[in-house]
Amino acid sequence: MEGLRSIWKLARGEHASFGLAVVALIVAALLLYIALLVPQSVFDTVLGDSAAASDISRTIVGWMGGTDAVSHALWIPALLMVVITGFSGVAIHLKTRLAAGSAERIARRTRDRMYDHVQRLPCSTLDQLPSGDLLQRCTSDIESMRVFLTSQAPEIGRAVLMLLMPLPIMAMLDWRMAIASVVCVPAMLAYTAINFKKMGPSFAAKEAAEAAMTANVTENLTGIRTVRAFGRGAYEETRFAASSAAFREADAHLFRLFARFWSISDLMCFTQQIIVVGLGAYLFANGRLELGAYFYFLTVVAMFIWPVRMLGRMVVEAGKALAAIARLDEILAKAQERDLDPDAAHAKPLTNTREGLAISFRNVSFAHRGGPLVLDDVSFDLAAGQTLGLVGPSGAGKTTIVQLLLRFHEPDAGTITIDGCALSLIPRASIRGVVGTVLQQPFLYSKRLRDNILASARAADAHQRAMESAAAIACVHEALLAFPEGYDTVVGEKGLTLSGGQRQRVAIARALVQAPRLLVLDDALSAVDAQTEATILTALRTNKDTHSLPPSKLIIGHRLSAVMHADLILVLDGGRVIQRGTHEQLVARAGLYQTLWRIQTELVDLASESSDADAAMSDRLTEGSSTAVLEVRDV
Amino acid sequence: MSEVERIDDSRARFSMRVWIPIITRAFAHRNAVAGLIGGGVVVAGIETVLPLLVGRIVDEARAGSEASLLPLLLLYLTLFVVFAVGVWVFILGAGIVATRTADQLRRDCFAKLQSLEPAYFDVRPTGWLVSRLTSDCSKVAGILPWCILDFAWCSAILIGVIGTMFLTDARLAIWALAAVPVMILVSAIFQRYLVRSGREARRVSSAMTAAYGEMLLGARTTKTLVREEANLAEFAQLSSEMNFWAMRSAVLSSVYLPLIASIAAFGAALILWQGASEVLTKEGITLGTLIAFMQFAALFAQPVQELAQRFADILNASSAAERIASLLATQAKIGDSATVRAPTHDELRINALRFEGVSFWYREGVPILENFSLCASRGKTIALVGSTGGGKSTIVSLATRFYEPRTGRITLDGVDYRDRPLAWLTEQIGIVPQVAHLFAGTLRENIRYGRLEASDHDIENAARRVRAHEFIVALEHGYETQVGEGGERLSTGQRQLVALARAVLRDPQILVMDEATSSIDTATERLVQAGVDEVLKGRIAFVVAHRLSTIRRADVILVIERGAIVEQGTHRDLLAQRGRYFELYTNQYAADKERALLHLTDAKAEATVASLVGDESE
Repeated sequence: MEGLRSIWKLARGEHASFGLAVVALIVAALLLYIALLVPQSVFDTVLGDSAAASDISRTIVGWMGGTDAVSHALWIPALLMVVITGFSGVAIHLKTRLAAGSAERIARRTRDRMYDHVQRLPCSTLDQLPSGDLLQRCTSDIESMRVFLTSQAPEIGRAVLMLLMPLPIMAMLDWRMAIASVVCVPAMLAYTAINFKKMGPSFAAKEAAEAAMTANVTENLTGIRTVRAFGRGAYEETRFAASSAAFREADAHLFRLFARFWSISDLMCFTQQIIVVGLGAYLFANGRLELGAYFYFLTVVAMFIWPVRMLGRMVVEAGKALAAIARLDEILAKAQERDLDPDAAHAKPLTNTREGLAISFRNVSFAHRGGPLVLDDVSFDLAAGQTLGLVGPSGAGKTTIVQLLLRFHEPDAGTITIDGCALSLIPRASIRGVVGTVLQQPFLYSKRLRDNILASARAADAHQRAMESAAAIACVHEALLAFPEGYDTVVGEKGLTLSGGQRQRVAIARALVQAPRLLVLDDALSAVDAQTEATILTALRTNKDTHSLPPSKLIIGHRLSAVMHADLILVLDGGRVIQRGTHEQLVARAGLYQTLWRIQTELVDLASESSDADAAMSDRLTEGSSTAVLEVRDV
Repeated sequence: MSEVERIDDSRARFSMRVWIPIITRAFAHRNAVAGLIGGGVVVAGIETVLPLLVGRIVDEARAGSEASLLPLLLLYLTLFVVFAVGVWVFILGAGIVATRTADQLRRDCFAKLQSLEPAYFDVRPTGWLVSRLTSDCSKVAGILPWCILDFAWCSAILIGVIGTMFLTDARLAIWALAAVPVMILVSAIFQRYLVRSGREARRVSSAMTAAYGEMLLGARTTKTLVREEANLAEFAQLSSEMNFWAMRSAVLSSVYLPLIASIAAFGAALILWQGASEVLTKEGITLGTLIAFMQFAALFAQPVQELAQRFADILNASSAAERIASLLATQAKIGDSATVRAPTHDELRINALRFEGVSFWYREGVPILENFSLCASRGKTIALVGSTGGGKSTIVSLATRFYEPRTGRITLDGVDYRDRPLAWLTEQIGIVPQVAHLFAGTLRENIRYGRLEASDHDIENAARRVRAHEFIVALEHGYETQVGEGGERLSTGQRQLVALARAVLRDPQILVMDEATSSIDTATERLVQAGVDEVLKGRIAFVVAHRLSTIRRADVILVIERGAIVEQGTHRDLLAQRGRYFELYTNQYAADKERALLHLTDAKAEATVASLVGDESE
């Protein structure tokens, strides 16, 4: 079975420890059964007819000094019972320590491994796996594995051992009774296993009803303002009562099934016991069974029959856990990013200088697996220390250029070179280490603001001053100081949320503090007001004396003020470069760039002329777009 | 959110008070509770009697009287059947108590939430409230019947066993009981530690889930920062903390359970020692009684362990119980006072709604509106424009009585609206929110939400008036189309049209519309605009306006900044002033056009608008 193989692999290094646990368990169970033999031997020899006593009873009483000695010192068997049970307890304790220790270590290792593995998966793999699914594997599937290791597997082992261990002793005592003692076991196993398999759909129905009810509550609470606006509280209560009752009924149905299961399986256990009691009494009355042996059978059956009742259920549950374990293995088998890096001999890491990056794209094309081309034959050269601006409608491929540059994806065709070296030979960590990136929707960790700004591997030991000056360039220093605990405020805690603009600016500070060779701003100022944006961009351009200013920049923005100072501006549409040049060149040419420029500068005058301007402006815009389309054909 | 955290963080101590609302609901199901207790007592009784019976069987067998064995065995069998029936009855009883109590709690909590004012929801995340109604209710109701059962069962066993033993042989009974106090003490001590480490493990576990979630959400950012190793190091701290608490629980259990077993063995050993002497001297009990006593000794361990376990369950669930009790005890802050008076026939028609010197703040010391006055009259549309955070939304929230003024008053034809029944007032108000919230169900049901008693004909008429009918009939199932959760199967524009139809069907005297900022294509926008005009006609209408067309058509435009009206007038007048309105308008114009040109997504368009208007809300 797939799951068994996976768990064997995950348990690497713990096999010996588990083996010892099994030994301890066997010892514990043996001792427990021996402890039971002590009073039995006393009943047999001391209290009963010692001539008819079994060999075992005589041996055990022999250990204690013989029948006479024991009859005069009855504390000896009593003490022996306590001591043996005590030792069995120690063995159980050792078993739990060993087994739980191993199981928890495996769980911890698997948690760490999953965490590290998933964060190192290539973007293309992450894109294919829904994050809800991944989260479930990381949490509930690992938990299933832990429960399997800490409880299901040991319980199954214990029940089987409890059943098997007394068999030889029982057979030695009386083979007829031994057979009678286990005669119901196969039927019980079959009944519980079939029962729990059959209950599967009812469990599923309960879960579905609960999910439906949860969805109902969530919807109501999400729309609670609408509910209030329409005064529909009572109506909603009726609706909810229905879904709550449906869940109640599904749950109650399970209770009814359980009531049936437990009472029937109880009856089966009792049937087993009554067979032993009845047959034993009959044999005993006829002098064909010793009292001690009879007592032993009575006790032992009561001890192993109840765990057997759970065995069928455990096996069904363990089957589910093994499926979860197999799912974990499936993720762990996927290649990490570093597995895709060139091997050390061929790798050419970038040097960590203060020089800018020279970037060159040659006929680069890219499509997401099986999708349409996102980049179509894109070429450009950017000398070290220059700034590149990218403009275009959403979906034009601007972000893809950044993603290829950071090796989130690999181009399908064409080559990218950095400082004259093929990007495919540069390890991912190396290129990402020299680029300070601010993504479209920057993510902040739920840590202190300070830790967020110093989050990158390269900034880990940056000084307070470097952090504050980066924050100052990003125009966020003052805003952060205004928080209750300044830079030590924890993001997302106590309802502290940052506005979109603040998040973007913290992310910019985070990129700057790495002293990157290239700064990438992927529409990273969209939520920042125009004035602040201008201040930040000017600081990035002119503030010569700050150590963290990046020599090269790649700026994506739909506000042209962000890109107008770039050394090279590419206008993209549908994955192709439709225009290229400097701001002056592009403004002079008809096309998307020029149209945008007009909207952003000249409209102020147009607008004041009342609504007629709408029509006029629409015409001009349409004109602009069609020119842009024409240009694409020309390229 | 402080309450949310306080309750979660509280180191739960057992407090009977928080369980009262739950217990009263559980005991309302008298028959089921009786079945639970009865079943438990019957089972306990049989468990007590069985060792005696086995003892009798052994004694009879020893005496060699085969004939007397059969009736005893039959009795044995009968007891088993009764036992199984007892089990069946108490599980059914537990099922009824658990599921019905949970259901009742859920419905009561739900009803309570419907009655609370919107401010209550501002500080509590939806997910947090959802778990109160789902997992918390199931949890407390789930453990309660087992507590009742075990209490009955354990008491019965202890009373039965102790009673029987004393009746049989008082001296031996005292020896047999010697171990019980030790067992109870040991259980109490261990459960305390087990509860604590269990709670810590759950805390770390949810922190780990959060860490996994953050890892997945921030995967790309992590890559750009090359901080995989630092992330793993931080996570490893959590997972090793988890390991610590899990191991602690395991080790505690691995000491606790064998210890109880040993104590029980000690009790049995005492009986063996003392009882065997009695049997030997032939002056007291028989061998059968001795065997029965030894089985009794084994019976003690289980009830003690069970009771300890239930005690731990209650401790573990007490924070859930506390949260439920506190929700049920919450009083709605907006509701009908003693001075409420239903409007007379002449007062039913509302001609004017006035803000009179209204001040309002969400947080003490941070006023949003100060001494704000405004008059809105029937048939006029007021457009509110201005920066986010300037107070526009607050004004409409006050007008709809989602919030009430801190000082000053809001009047309907001169009568403070707090003196009108909330239910009546709500009937007079229609709201079209910025993001139309639809409920899972059909389109027809969603429109009917505006007026529950409306006929299908009314519904279609309303849809026609806002031009929603056309798109609806074009759908495969027409009005019976399922809209999906939150209306996910409809486009943004379609959802807005449905929300408009819903408001028209309601035919309110006061209409409040928070216009959507998100972009819809030009054709839909024209459609929606026609619907909007229809909705606003002939009412007291407030529009938090984002679309130029709406703004231009308003009768009065109020420019709201920092809680006050800074400019007021018609579109033409205000443009001529070349003030704040002019600035907002031109920026909006540019944003609209740019959006169309670059096909910006909703989120980005909003960001663009926000930035152009120059108000990052901070």
